[in-house]
Amino acid sequence: MDNKMEVKILEIMNTVLDNRTKKKLTVLSPEMHLRNDIGFDSLDLAELTVRIEAEYDIDIFEDGIVNTVSEIFEKLNSK
Amino acid sequence: MDFFLKDIEHGAPITWDFLINDINNSLTYNPYCKSDNYYHVFKHIITSLIIGKEIILLDSDFTDSELVNLTGFSEYEEFTQLIDKGSFSLLRDKVELIEKLRNTCDDWKITLFTSGTTGIPKKVTHNFNSITRFVKISERNTNSIWGFAYNPTHMAGIQVFFQALLNGNAIVRLFGLTPNEIHSEINENDITHISATPTFYRLLLPCENTFQTVERITSGGEKFNEKTILQLKDIFPNAKITNVYASTEAGTLFASENDVFSIRPEYEHLIRVDNGELLIHSSLMGSSDINIKEWYNTGDLIEIITKKPLKFRFISRKSDMINVGGYKVNPLEVEETILTLSGIKNVRVYSKSNSVLGNIICCEVVCDNNQISESSIRTFLQSKIQEFKIPRIIRFVDELSTTRTGKIKRN
Repeated sequence: MDNKMEVKILEIMNTVLDNRTKKKLTVLSPEMHLRNDIGFDSLDLAELTVRIEAEYDIDIFEDGIVNTVSEIFEKLNSK
Repeated sequence: MDFFLKDIEHGAPITWDFLINDINNSLTYNPYCKSDNYYHVFKHIITSLIIGKEIILLDSDFTDSELVNLTGFSEYEEFTQLIDKGSFSLLRDKVELIEKLRNTCDDWKITLFTSGTTGIPKKVTHNFNSITRFVKISERNTNSIWGFAYNPTHMAGIQVFFQALLNGNAIVRLFGLTPNEIHSEINENDITHISATPTFYRLLLPCENTFQTVERITSGGEKFNEKTILQLKDIFPNAKITNVYASTEAGTLFASENDVFSIRPEYEHLIRVDNGELLIHSSLMGSSDINIKEWYNTGDLIEIITKKPLKFRFISRKSDMINVGGYKVNPLEVEETILTLSGIKNVRVYSKSNSVLGNIICCEVVCDNNQISESSIRTFLQSKIQEFKIPRIIRFVDELSTTRTGKIKRN
């Protein structure tokens, strides 16, 4: 996985978590589940997609919900 | 599965006998109900029905300032009253409880709050007949098991609650759970009916499992796209999928199997279309502190497909209300709240379409000093308004752009 992209996604996720005063992440691993492991709810996922789209111009949830960190990278790398 | 409620947060299912004992042993009653515990809310409603007193439902996440705006108070201890045990015989069993509930007295009232169109949420009161107008009681429903996927203090949740309660059905909480938990709750409890917003269903997808026990899927509150419906048909192969149109003011009014709605002939004279907008007759509405004339403007624009029988499709909303995953947000209310923070000169709240929730709340603010940060606005709002109303994207600008529905500029 692209290191620069990984750092950016981690930063975006932490912004979203911080906005809801949820615990921030220190590392990001591909198998992490967005809802079960990271603890995003639907409001957070909605914000996440807007912030990622602002950065990469890709709506990661356009074709349905993605579940894991690695699926986000797949979406971003496929376009 | 003959239990009253299963809530994963409380472990084992709560039985009807436990509920009945709990009600029989209750000595006091408070008309105000604010709790995030599903059992407490449901028991509170049932107690109010049994003793024939009004109940006022408050969202568990209302802030103190919202409570003061809505009710004039933020503490409700002083409203606790003794239940006159002499006037009620103890309940013997589930059959007697349900029978009693079905014959609730005319004095009973339920009050809830809806996002008002003028800034502050408004109060809507229903009696037993208006809140249960569309409840279907029949032998066929006796064995239904409901997946409860709404906030219990909102209109949609109340309607599901009454449909389940008056048929003596078990309720399984699904709202607020993770997709994995939802999947296992459906399987373990053989859930047959689920009613939820499109957002709830979207968040279950993609899903590799199929759920054979589910017979009926109902959705409402936002537009449901064809793709989601097709995906749901794969997961719930035995379910009939229905869309409903409901509002806090009127409750459930119409149902459809696709995006074309029809109304039962006996209610046809109670709806009208004016300039493309759906109007509902006041006799279908709960009472509200806002004066309703004979006809109520819903703010929903519809397209008529056939006049006799009346069939129509919803096109859009006339008002500025923003639908965030089925929750209505009034941008004026959010703007007014942000403006009360000192240092804010001007603000515009708008929506941006979103693939998860349908819409997301954004705002632009103009500040008159540098002390204001995104997090200071957020912290302030968390004490003033409910979480789903708080803008997720906050931009600082020198002056406001002219359109409320404008897109976010990328840096």
